[in-house]
Amino acid sequence: MVALPDGARVLVADDDADIRDLVEFKLTQAGYAVQAVGDGLSAWEAFEADQPALVVLDVMMPGLSGIDVLRKIRESGAPDVPVLLLSAKSRDSDVDTGFAVGATDYVVKPFSPRELLHRVNAILARTR
Amino acid sequence: MLVLAPAVVLAACLGLVALIVGTKVLRTRRERRRAALLAPYRIDLLAVSAGEDDAGAHRARLAGADGASRPALDDAMTHLLAKVRGTPADHLAEVLHAHGAIDRAITDLHHPSAVRRARAAQLLGLCGAHQAVARLGEALQDQAPDVRTSAAHALGLVGDPAVAPRLLAAVGSSHRPIPAGPAADALEGMGVGISRALRDALEHPSPTVRTVAAQVSGDGAFTRSTPRLRELLATDPDLTVRETAAGALAHLGRREDVEVLARHTAADQPTPLRRTCTEALGRLGEPSAVPHLEPLLDDPDPRLAELAATALLCLGEPGRRALGDRGGAAADTARTLARLRAGEPIQSVGAGRAGDAAGPGDSGDAGHARAASRADHGSRA
Amino acid sequence: MTWDGFVDGLRAGVVWLMAVTSVPILVYFLIINLSYLLLIVLASLDFRADHRRRESEVTAFGGALTPGVSLLVPAYNEAAGIVVSVQALLSLRYPRHEVVVVDDGSTDGTFEQLLEAFDLVEVPRELPRDVPVRARVLDVHVPRDGRTRLVVVRKENSGRSEALNVGLNAATEPLVAMIDADSILEPDGLLRVTQPFTDDPTRVVAAGGAIRPVNGSRVVSGRIVDVRMPRQWLARVQVVEYLRAFLLGRTGWSRSGALILISGAFGIFRRDVVVEVGGLDPTSIGEDFELVLRIHRRMRDEGRDYRVAFVPEPVSWTEVPTTAAVLRNQRRRWHRGLWETLWAYRGMVRPRYGRVGLVALPYYWVFELFAPLLELFGIVVVPLALLLGVVDVPYAVLFLLLAYGLAVLVTLAAMAAEEWSFHRHDRWRDLGLTLLASVVENIGYRQLTVWWRLEGWWASLRGKKQVWGVMTRAGFEEPAP
Repeated sequence: MVALPDGARVLVADDDADIRDLVEFKLTQAGYAVQAVGDGLSAWEAFEADQPALVVLDVMMPGLSGIDVLRKIRESGAPDVPVLLLSAKSRDSDVDTGFAVGATDYVVKPFSPRELLHRVNAILARTR
Repeated sequence: MLVLAPAVVLAACLGLVALIVGTKVLRTRRERRRAALLAPYRIDLLAVSAGEDDAGAHRARLAGADGASRPALDDAMTHLLAKVRGTPADHLAEVLHAHGAIDRAITDLHHPSAVRRARAAQLLGLCGAHQAVARLGEALQDQAPDVRTSAAHALGLVGDPAVAPRLLAAVGSSHRPIPAGPAADALEGMGVGISRALRDALEHPSPTVRTVAAQVSGDGAFTRSTPRLRELLATDPDLTVRETAAGALAHLGRREDVEVLARHTAADQPTPLRRTCTEALGRLGEPSAVPHLEPLLDDPDPRLAELAATALLCLGEPGRRALGDRGGAAADTARTLARLRAGEPIQSVGAGRAGDAAGPGDSGDAGHARAASRADHGSRA
Repeated sequence: MTWDGFVDGLRAGVVWLMAVTSVPILVYFLIINLSYLLLIVLASLDFRADHRRRESEVTAFGGALTPGVSLLVPAYNEAAGIVVSVQALLSLRYPRHEVVVVDDGSTDGTFEQLLEAFDLVEVPRELPRDVPVRARVLDVHVPRDGRTRLVVVRKENSGRSEALNVGLNAATEPLVAMIDADSILEPDGLLRVTQPFTDDPTRVVAAGGAIRPVNGSRVVSGRIVDVRMPRQWLARVQVVEYLRAFLLGRTGWSRSGALILISGAFGIFRRDVVVEVGGLDPTSIGEDFELVLRIHRRMRDEGRDYRVAFVPEPVSWTEVPTTAAVLRNQRRRWHRGLWETLWAYRGMVRPRYGRVGLVALPYYWVFELFAPLLELFGIVVVPLALLLGVVDVPYAVLFLLLAYGLAVLVTLAAMAAEEWSFHRHDRWRDLGLTLLASVVENIGYRQLTVWWRLEGWWASLRGKKQVWGVMTRAGFEEPAP
């Protein structure tokens, strides 16, 4: 049994409003404090302003992509923050690049919200 | 007349400005109206698509939505269906069914508007509507190209292998073709039942169909296609088909296929094909390929030699032994790259060499100044 | 000779000129603008199809038939931005691609920047000689991790074409794209521009992607995060120009199967076809234009079933000149390249070359090559005729209308198409600026480009050597925090 999230902060970035709302809803229902943004640059700025416990990044965003933001995070002063990438069904290369740049975990779209929640819980349980 | 002409042009200009502004306004208004219709059901939509509706209360509310909101809701749910899977997807499909959206979509496949037909196909695909397979198959011959493509995509999502022959035929259709990429993707979602259809398609008169069939055969490991793939590699008139066949054989081939791949590394074959087959021998992973790769190490084509060296390194101990400590650019590079990938330390050589090789002058003409690098677009006003 | 005598003589000359040309000139401008409108209509149909496709489909990322791409980046003295550029190119969304940087004998530390940023290691690779190259290749480097798909080749300085040919030789994927070091590609740009190849793998041999000026937009880490109109009028007018030229000309032509011109900043080709025709011609100023014509010729000579496609949505963004001096050099060189290439391929204007030879090329001759000459007529002779009383005001108005009014109409139609399909510029203010710019373009800018184009053409006819100007980069990269 995983310990309750007790308000741990999660940053969610996805340019697709549906997905953003959905993930925010799911995680909030589970007890997390969610901040949702719609593009990579805002995600980076939010991360810098107030470091969250975990970041969920969509890979495909205009401007700074999820991988770009991930790279910035890893090269910043707080590189150990767990990052979970969301990406459209791929032929390995997104996954490869993602892990190479330092992603903690990876969820493929179309995705199961329940599975996403499980993974978030598991990652945070590990890193506590 | 001379007064009329300026008036006409001016009117047309103003009309276009109005059109541009109007389009933007309309689009904004339409989006706002849609948001207003959806607002009361926002929580229900979120709950269902997040899989937080085990009790069914939110589904019930959505199912009971009034007539005005239904089209917007159906649209929103269709979009959400494309993004989630598992229980939420089932629940969303349930509500759509309750709205009669699926039956409506089947009817809409014959709607006069191509946009509606394409959307209908999309919805049917996302809901996995098996009952619509026949109609979607017919839609592969629709006169609008994007309806055809939507239908192909939908059939891939539904996943019924019985429609594979139609799909492949549609790729080769001369006046109403479907694009090869989406067709291949759709086929790859249909499982092993398409084996026969693929084999037949490998004999199709259209090279595009043969390419799709070869690609899917390889990706899905349809070993029954192998004899025909060998023929295509050897004798097909289209180079793309031959290369695709070689790639497919690399995927699903076995020891018997070393021979045909090796034969096409010979000097009388087109260079791109030689290279593809050499690489394929490495990916195939059969040590019996080693004696065929060795002679290529001395080939005048440096890329071919390097591909052969890399392939040998993929074939385990026999391959490594055949490469030995032979020198030469090809072998050295292959070994260096293998070491780099394995994380072994390599001495960094690069920096000093170019100093002594200043170009023949970077003055104006032959030089490569910035304007050249940027302004060399052949674009015209 | 008295002043009156001079004026009389001039008048007589102008009278004669006008008698001969007055109607043909009007007809010319009418046709050129109607043809643009026709291309707009053709393009709009394409946009609608594309738009609907985008709306109704979940974009599959790199499906089964997605071919690998080698991005060829010729680099000369690009130390300022090369690392960011290459980083951005490496992280484009695409299942399978590599970046091949060819350092054309840079003297500003370009290579050293790459060496450090990517931890490069030399490999003893010998490059194939699929396309002959005059200059010597010096060495080949790859990143130490052995996994990042970057290759950096150094060669002796000999120009962009040779650098691209070396890149072509070094490329390992079936498709190649020629990219300028300071161009910015959209993250999904490769997926979009390779779609014609995915949809029709045996026929498509080349595809072009639209470019837009990046001036004024906000760029972070090599990505465009905010599209905005430039602050400067010269650049604003170019935004309008590019919009019209790329969206309409290319898409319209592509639909009719006669596309010849692929932009230099973003063209993607089948590697085997480019090798077959011999790569880029280092002696030609026409460069990419010339390559595409050569491909057309070869395909038709061999009776091959082929297609050249165009992707209308912007794929690549580039910095356009903001000073008249640099713009002038650019336009001179373009028109010179156009002339020299059209002349070199004049033998293609015959039935065996189908629509390319019988429709597209003659169109380019008449409406692109000779256009500035005819416009010059309008700029000089018509006002003169008006002044001398040779023509009356109605004629002058009619002329103005057909030459300029219709042009504005054409541009507005282009904008309508853009608003309808892509709506990249979100702010009302930017839309307003674009509308204004489409009018401003015809007041001074167009006339200047007419003169510059003629200068370039004249220089070529006189056999003067082409001199490449230098453009100092304005710089749009955000400074690191």
